[in-house]
Amino acid sequence: MLTRISGGEIVDPLNGRSGTGDLWIEDETIVEPPASRRPDATFDASGCIVMAGAIDIHSHIGGGNVNTARLLLPEHYAAHASRPAVTPLSSLGWTAFETGRLYARMGFTTVVEPAMSPGSALHTHLELADIPIIDKATLAILGNDDFLLSMIRDDASSSMIEDYVAWTVASTRALGVKVINAGAATAFKENVRTFSLDDVVPSYGVSSRRIVKTLQAAVAELGIPHPLHVHCNNLGAPGAAETAAATIAAAEGVPLHLAHLQFYGYGTEGSRKFSSAGARLAELVNATPEITIDIGQVMFGQTVTISSDVMRQFSARGGADPRKSVIIDGDGNGGGIVPYRYRKDFYGSVQWAVGLELFLLIDDPWRVFFTTDHPNGAPFTAYPRLFELLMRKEARREVAEGLPKRALSLTTLPAIEREYSFEEVAIMTRAAPAKLLGLADRGHLGAGALADIAVYRKQDDVARMFEAAALVFKNGELVVRDGEIEKYRWGRALRLNPSPDKAMVRRLEAYHQERYGLSLDWFTFPDWAIARENPFGEVPCRA
Amino acid sequence: MAVAWIGNREVPLARAAKKAAELLVSSRCPVFSLDTDVHGTRAALALAARVGASCDYVNGEAAAREAAVIAASGGMFILPGEARRRADMIVFVGEIPESHRAYVEELAISVPDLATGGKRGLFLIGADRGAPKRLGGREVTLLSCEGTDLAGTLAAVRALCAGRKVTAEVTNIDGFKGALAEAGFPVFLFGGGEADGLTLEMLQGLVSDINRRKRASTLHLPASEKAWGAALTSTWTTGFPLRTGFSRGYPEHDPWRWNAGRMLDAGEADLHLWLSATGGEAPPAAAGASLIAVAKTARPAVGADVTIAVGDPGLDHDAVSYSVRTGTLAAVAARSSSQLPAAAVLRAIIAHLPEGAEAPC
Repeated sequence: MLTRISGGEIVDPLNGRSGTGDLWIEDETIVEPPASRRPDATFDASGCIVMAGAIDIHSHIGGGNVNTARLLLPEHYAAHASRPAVTPLSSLGWTAFETGRLYARMGFTTVVEPAMSPGSALHTHLELADIPIIDKATLAILGNDDFLLSMIRDDASSSMIEDYVAWTVASTRALGVKVINAGAATAFKENVRTFSLDDVVPSYGVSSRRIVKTLQAAVAELGIPHPLHVHCNNLGAPGAAETAAATIAAAEGVPLHLAHLQFYGYGTEGSRKFSSAGARLAELVNATPEITIDIGQVMFGQTVTISSDVMRQFSARGGADPRKSVIIDGDGNGGGIVPYRYRKDFYGSVQWAVGLELFLLIDDPWRVFFTTDHPNGAPFTAYPRLFELLMRKEARREVAEGLPKRALSLTTLPAIEREYSFEEVAIMTRAAPAKLLGLADRGHLGAGALADIAVYRKQDDVARMFEAAALVFKNGELVVRDGEIEKYRWGRALRLNPSPDKAMVRRLEAYHQERYGLSLDWFTFPDWAIARENPFGEVPCRA
Repeated sequence: MAVAWIGNREVPLARAAKKAAELLVSSRCPVFSLDTDVHGTRAALALAARVGASCDYVNGEAAAREAAVIAASGGMFILPGEARRRADMIVFVGEIPESHRAYVEELAISVPDLATGGKRGLFLIGADRGAPKRLGGREVTLLSCEGTDLAGTLAAVRALCAGRKVTAEVTNIDGFKGALAEAGFPVFLFGGGEADGLTLEMLQGLVSDINRRKRASTLHLPASEKAWGAALTSTWTTGFPLRTGFSRGYPEHDPWRWNAGRMLDAGEADLHLWLSATGGEAPPAAAGASLIAVAKTARPAVGADVTIAVGDPGLDHDAVSYSVRTGTLAAVAARSSSQLPAAAVLRAIIAHLPEGAEAPC
């Protein structure tokens, strides 16, 4: 099947292509324009922007904690299902099925669930497998698990730690590794209530910093394309910028990704001891080339926070709105579900501004990633409005007019004139995520790339443009036309597959038998358990 | 071996599936009750969405209560592996269900190896009749309150732990309070079998009180593993646990309205699809309602219009089921694939439906 998308404005930063032209697809792949063949189908893209399908590197779309949030908040889905679109969380995409539909209509074709507990990997993958159209991937959480902490305490060799990390990534079918408030969930089980980078986990004598450095080294040594994905300590706390700065400094030249940096961009100035440190963190990121970050932008309205940072979620439960929450002590991290409403008050406004400062003051779009930490800062369905805020300073001013001036005066946002270009958007949401995750087959429109393509009708209203793509192709198939689903298909979960070390598997088998009274089989799963054809797509590690 | 019947007449599977589809299409108010694994539940929900049916668990009261307490008040929970390794004090809230007895005895005789380490005290709240004095050879201290039930005893325990006065005495309360003060991580075991919704909320209140200064949590031992697996599956598929209906074309969760037993008793439902992978006696056919039995059976179910035999997940075919031992879903390989999974049968029924909207599974 030969398809031509004709006359669109191609935005393909990776290949340096920009300007009006055609794009050719043969079956699942983008191809060079054929010399003498006629297309089987032609789609007119005149007046449209043509980009690769977007990639979201950090969005909580499936797994135990996400599902618990659904159990906690059935009233939010009721609002979604049967009431007008303006009701709270009306566009959250609360089921697996809706998640795929709503992402696809915005032109997103790959989404990473960044917090998979290794112990519930099967549950996570079952949910992801029920998300239609898009491809998915997961990051496996390590850094609060007894096996790793014990190895670090006992000065295990780096190769032994790498074997464990490799086994975890392979057995959970993950695309990378995440550490969440390293050591804090374990410390919280021993009634520690705050935890910083140089604090030590009781019973192990291991600092949070040492856990992060150990995992950072293992990920690099194993050739896992995505650098260690770090959720720092002290999320949400006034003064958390100090922790983020210390973590950035701790990268020491080795790649490190900091998740949802907005939630750490808080200083302690002003009478409320809560101010923006966005500009300072942006400067630090600019000056530290081994650091990549995603934002976790806050958008006003109702949401629910879902995090494996159980210590932080426990401390936040007093602010739950509505007033109910779930806190889970897991085998490693566990998690916490706390519903929350971002209001246009002093605190909400500072948070909103910090995210935008980071977006606009970090110079290199290859190192800053577009996220709301769905649903923690806002549901992913807020993306179109966020694109507008980045691309139109007037849109920012309009929102700012409705916010407390005192809050904005503690930020640099009012003075920022920058507007993102389509090229920068394409880098931030396509080319850079593909590079960061090691997905060479996507994020660009060059010959040989997977035909994941989003076509947007160009218009002044940026939010409308990104809300409902004119055309979306997934693996060369037309899946969306004018924002409506044209065809449902089942994507894959992208995974690494490093060979597990046999001695490590034996050791883990003995460990699970002894400590849990169960064989390792209880904690792993075969592919048939997913009950779909080819549920996984393999991504190579770096040599 | 026969696998399908229309009435008492043996028929090929495809014919029974076609007949079931016809009955479902002509039904005005079909109700499903489910007792199957994750993939059986996914297929049942897909079928229900297509024909506008409502879904409940088989004997769904306990599972409905367990889900309702999370929606009502949330709570603090611990996973079983962590409880086994960390809990230096175990408190059973109500009777221990027979189905969890082996697991609980194992928990009683093991000792925590993390943090506090070494020993584990055992308590049981609220059962003054027939409660075990020993479990796995270990002594269990009973807390009971004369003249009241589990809810009353738990309320008294919470009040006394908070330094308030109560009129009735709770046995062994001083020992309990002392143990609580010394424990590093007490864990309260509960399920929805005996405890009602308010009792479960009271338990969460007690645990929340303790967590102001110390740590503690609750371990959920679902009254039925299959039902809780269905609750989780339904939640990511429809947004809700079961007792969810599709009569208006989208999922609606209503634990009273979509109670299968109530609907059949009240004559609201005109078709009952009974999906019981563990088998047992078929429910009596409700007056005026057709019965489709998809069950582990060697013969047509009594009173059923259509019967299709399926296997027990994990025994007769590979399955994915909730496990109380890990607190999550686990793949269970069967020794032999001897009988059809419910999911395959339900997909065969779906294949006989008229063209319709995309199914979510």
